[in-house]
Amino acid sequence: MSQKLQITLAASVIALVASVGTAEAATDVKFWHSFNKSNGEALDKVIAGFEAANPGIDIEAEYVGNYNDIIAKLQAAIPARRAPDAVILEVTRYGLFANNNLLTDLTPYFDADPLKDDLYDYAREVGVIDGKNYVVPFNSSTPVLYFNKDIFARAGLSADTPLKTFKDITAAAKTISEKLGSEGISGIAAPGQFARWGIVMANDSEMVDPKSGEILLDKPNTIEAYQWMASLVKDDKVASPDGVTDEDNGRDAFLAKKVGIMMNSTGNYVGAKKALGDELAVRAMPCNKACSVPIGGAGIGIMATSTKDVQDAAYKFISYAASPEANATWFAGTGYLPINKKSAALPVAKEALATQPGIDVAIESLPVAHGRARTTVVTWMRTTEYKMWEAMALGQANVDETMKDFAAQTRSEEKRASN
Amino acid sequence: MTMLRKLTPYLFVAPLMIFIALFTYIPILASLNLSFREWNFLTPDMPFVGFRNYEQLLASRDVWNSLWVTTLFTVLSVPLRLGLALMIAAYLVRETMHVRLLRGALFLPSVTSTVSIAVVFSWVFSTDYGMVNAILGTFGLGKVQWLQNPHLALWVLVFVNTWKQIGYDIIIYIAGLQAIPRELYDAAAVDGGKRLHVFRRITMPLVMPTTYFLLVISVIEAFQVFTIVNIMTRGGPAGATDMLVNLLYEIGFVLFDIGRGSALAVLLFILLVGLAILKSRIIGRKVHYEA
Repeated sequence: MSQKLQITLAASVIALVASVGTAEAATDVKFWHSFNKSNGEALDKVIAGFEAANPGIDIEAEYVGNYNDIIAKLQAAIPARRAPDAVILEVTRYGLFANNNLLTDLTPYFDADPLKDDLYDYAREVGVIDGKNYVVPFNSSTPVLYFNKDIFARAGLSADTPLKTFKDITAAAKTISEKLGSEGISGIAAPGQFARWGIVMANDSEMVDPKSGEILLDKPNTIEAYQWMASLVKDDKVASPDGVTDEDNGRDAFLAKKVGIMMNSTGNYVGAKKALGDELAVRAMPCNKACSVPIGGAGIGIMATSTKDVQDAAYKFISYAASPEANATWFAGTGYLPINKKSAALPVAKEALATQPGIDVAIESLPVAHGRARTTVVTWMRTTEYKMWEAMALGQANVDETMKDFAAQTRSEEKRASN
Repeated sequence: MTMLRKLTPYLFVAPLMIFIALFTYIPILASLNLSFREWNFLTPDMPFVGFRNYEQLLASRDVWNSLWVTTLFTVLSVPLRLGLALMIAAYLVRETMHVRLLRGALFLPSVTSTVSIAVVFSWVFSTDYGMVNAILGTFGLGKVQWLQNPHLALWVLVFVNTWKQIGYDIIIYIAGLQAIPRELYDAAAVDGGKRLHVFRRITMPLVMPTTYFLLVISVIEAFQVFTIVNIMTRGGPAGATDMLVNLLYEIGFVLFDIGRGSALAVLLFILLVGLAILKSRIIGRKVHYEA
């Protein structure tokens, strides 16, 4: 073998070993999330920014469906030892995992992170159970009221039409349905579960008391809120029943300009803006008896099963995702609430606030935004609520009786689960 | 040598037996074991709770509602499927080019993804944006809440399930009809037998083994229907289409009560075995395998 060939071979072997060494040094963090379409694109930007700043960490992001899908897949993945390292968890449903010691207690990380002081109070609060921090907020939201200005104008309603009380909204929705129903346009989209929760709070009540955990489904104001929501579908017929059996249908119809009003998460802002352009207008949720909105969205948790170095790498990512730069990119790209106090001052957020009217409505709702209960029974309650809502909205069950029965069932389930 | 010869047949069937044991019998036994325990996938221990899961299921309104809905679905869909399939098969039993094309067309839904079919029919039957209501609208008829009306929703599922499954039934019936000796029809023709009479006296009894086979299969399928329910109605509206397997999925994989989910699976298994024995006692005796 010639000396030249020997040198070439030796150099190749060294290069190979070096590259393997580099690959081994990189830490992979498997990350499950629930963002596709425009929100998925915004998340990709955040991940790209993190990987550029942290070349030793590779985020393997995977879209695994909506919040319900994530919960289901995570529960199946844990006993199969196929759980991810980091995961997006909806703010009312991570308690199930935290209470079973499956989520890493992030308190030591969080306490040592300067980020903690930069987060809004509401954002810091959503990740805490019994004084321990289990998730760091990423995509926080409140419901807002969207409407289509063009549909309003065609129905003879001005863009300043009051939409503050249940009565105001019913009146506007009726006008739209009466004037434009022949064109296949309906007044309002049947509210989805997040909006239903918001409507209950706008009627000065709650589903479950966030402090005491008391079940409030049969309180008069909760029942009254459900009576109003159900009346939109079954009595006034201003909301399509298609949106009752599948709440995405209501949102899709609004985006297709077939619905005048929609109450939904602020996380739909950018998608709605793309679909409706200048026709989109955004208002705060109604204040029927009180001005109060739920904080929704999700945070990122780290699985306790991951190794320490992966947990460290995952926390770096979580911390970056909540940093002013990443959060401003996320806010501008989706419409989700800023969680970092410094985000709004950055050019990308400033530009979004200046050029995307209505994106700030959710921010303005923050003074009346409240965290929700996250006890174990909440997961059961939210799952069962869909059936109850269907029965009430489609006129198959009396609202008063159904809500009382629902409350009794929820209390019974809470008792059963605690035994 | 003799020992090896004795072992040979067992060795031949061993791979299949191992496969079936791994993917059928062991899961059944595991499910039986889980039905007496409490587990949510997350806790490391699975405490033994005796018959508590069964007691809770039998006391649950949802379970009795699901049993009723599933029975209704079976009673509506199975006779419809088999009756229509036999009629169509009697027409398609001839061997011509257009008949072969029709057979292929009718069989297509059987090999099409159930998920795709369910998604498409969800839109077809949508109240405000669906094709069916658009067609009704052109005749001046009002919108029908196909998937929101509890009485209609079940019929829609029966229709979609029949549309999906009927191709398979037709093909099996055609095979059964083709096995009937031609001479019997010739003899009936000589005797002046009318078409309906011949169908009732010759075709029906001789195709009985096929009917019995399809009955057993379609009842099991009807009791296990899941995909179209989960995608088109998710058991709604208000539980009107909440079939047993959909409820099982909900208990096991939405509420993560694996113990109760497994107990329901065991109850479903017992129910299906019971039904199979009942069918065998009542109908099996009337089945003639010889002309």
